[in-house]
Amino acid sequence: MDRRALITAFAALPAAAILTPEAAFAASARANPAWAPAVGDVETDIAPRALRRIHGRAPKGLAGTLFRNGPAKFRRPGGDAGHWFDGDGLVRAFRIRDGKASLAGRFVDTFKRRQDTKAGAMVSAGFAQVPRPDAVVRHADDANAANTALLPIGGELLALWEQGSPYAIDPVTLQTKGLKTFRPDLAHMPFLAHPRIEPDGRVWNLGVAGRKALVWTLSPDGSLAGTAMIDLPRAAYIHDFTATQRHLVIALQPWIQDRRAQPFVASMSWRPEQGTQVLVIDKDDLTKRRIFELPAFFAFHFGDAWEEADGTIRFDACVNAEPTFAARGGSELIAYKSPTDHQDTRLALITLRPGGKAELQSTGLTAEFPRSDPRFAGKARSKSVINTVGGGADLPFLRGVAVSDWRTGKADVFDFGPDHCVEEMLFVARPGSTRELDGWLVGTSLNLKARATELHVFDAKAVSAGPVCSWRADVPLPVGFHGAWMG
Amino acid sequence: MISRTTRLALLTAGLLSFAVVNAGRAQAQEPGDLSVTFSGLTAPTGALYVGVYDSEAAFGGGKPVAGERVAVNGATASLTLSGLKPGRYAIKVFHDIDGDGRMNTNPYGIPLEPYAASNNAPANMGPPRWSDAVFDVTAEGAVQDITIQ
Repeated sequence: MDRRALITAFAALPAAAILTPEAAFAASARANPAWAPAVGDVETDIAPRALRRIHGRAPKGLAGTLFRNGPAKFRRPGGDAGHWFDGDGLVRAFRIRDGKASLAGRFVDTFKRRQDTKAGAMVSAGFAQVPRPDAVVRHADDANAANTALLPIGGELLALWEQGSPYAIDPVTLQTKGLKTFRPDLAHMPFLAHPRIEPDGRVWNLGVAGRKALVWTLSPDGSLAGTAMIDLPRAAYIHDFTATQRHLVIALQPWIQDRRAQPFVASMSWRPEQGTQVLVIDKDDLTKRRIFELPAFFAFHFGDAWEEADGTIRFDACVNAEPTFAARGGSELIAYKSPTDHQDTRLALITLRPGGKAELQSTGLTAEFPRSDPRFAGKARSKSVINTVGGGADLPFLRGVAVSDWRTGKADVFDFGPDHCVEEMLFVARPGSTRELDGWLVGTSLNLKARATELHVFDAKAVSAGPVCSWRADVPLPVGFHGAWMG
Repeated sequence: MISRTTRLALLTAGLLSFAVVNAGRAQAQEPGDLSVTFSGLTAPTGALYVGVYDSEAAFGGGKPVAGERVAVNGATASLTLSGLKPGRYAIKVFHDIDGDGRMNTNPYGIPLEPYAASNNAPANMGPPRWSDAVFDVTAEGAVQDITIQ
């Protein structure tokens, strides 16, 4: 074999066949990355415990509980979860009072968790999980991981998923009360993890199945105010939607369910040539609707929308070019692999003009988990709270937090550095204040170096100055998704 | 999971499609009788709607060869059918707990009243399969014990 032939032969070999010692070392490092605790397994509930204050002092007037949800059990001896989204929901309560903080955590006692525990394997159906043939799947709630978000309402904490009903949780003990059925004939109906809450407490949400969506409305006391079924122009993947005071705003990205296949992720096709549609529906008359057209993008999350005097609608979105994380990246994470073809999600402003034109302006700012001042939900506002600062190939999580201002175009950023995986930050208003974002940001990070979860408070007007107070737990909890503040 | 919804909707359609046919009831097990017991009933109200099918196509959404309404008063119920020709059959049953004569579903067609099939064939990711539910009725008859889930 001459040299040219040898090189050609090597080129055709899989990389593993020509591993150098350096490459082998790199591969073993990838098998157990520094960020592994971010998708680690929690084996038991987290008994209530005090957090140790490691920096600053708690602001006067800040008292309440940050409830957070996120998957925290992915692996069992007989088989692992197929995707980050398929782990069991662990509800965490970070309580702040009298300058002190505590933590407690409890898994949502779902049918899925019981079934998987009994089997000693992740056997239930999931986002990227084909159910084992003996697994029970009578309806979506048999696959319900209750792991995505929390809605405190009516004296209960509702643990939300996407394709099934909420699980009701006792906010004091974190004990699971059971599946929430708003009316007997609505049992097992889907309820998205991203309800939109008007400043007076009225809740709007969707329950999506293919080209249908049930529009849910809840009264501020948590009772069912109404439901209506609407048709969608396409069977798009809908994780989140947004709303102004008068309109529901539903982005229909071209990740479309176009075939029957298991698992769920295998039933979806990316069809960028179809663009992204935005459906705008009048809250007072759901038959009044408009459709706007945008170039294709993918987004999990949107910010609260607002409407200007001339009818222009604006909202922020955390956009990707393609749904690579949903389709593959979340599965790779569970296998402790950095997502291949990773793209940072960017903050963008979407504008829907009364004449029918739509625009998407990207800021170039890395962003996920957008939140804003809940007192301004649906109303004109300028500030968005986001997680930011991508960790690059070494850290497939975000490591910073920012307040981005649409009026000035500036972002007030704090970077925790490469040892932190930062989780969603919520805004908590300063008592007595009415100005937008006058108060604090409260949120958590996983400190990989200390192997511990931390709770942080920022002055929302001075994020780049760093936390005004931080506490550290004695346990590392995996990175979660969404939370809610209860004062 | 939408496809599961669709398939469950089909299941519901299948369960609803059989007409209640008077197949003639026998009081005791006789040669050739199909004797069925139902257990696991969660409410002592309403009725079971039982369909007996003689082909995969019929089982998947066609007409039953026999259909019965069995009043429910406790946790168990039973039914004896006579006059069935020896052959291969499968049963679908649902418990109409509220007695409104139909299987309740949610707006996406998910059954909200208990149902089952012969051989306790599983209904995973869609309706029970004929291949799991099929059984032989011989000249001596047949016995089925069905747990309503």
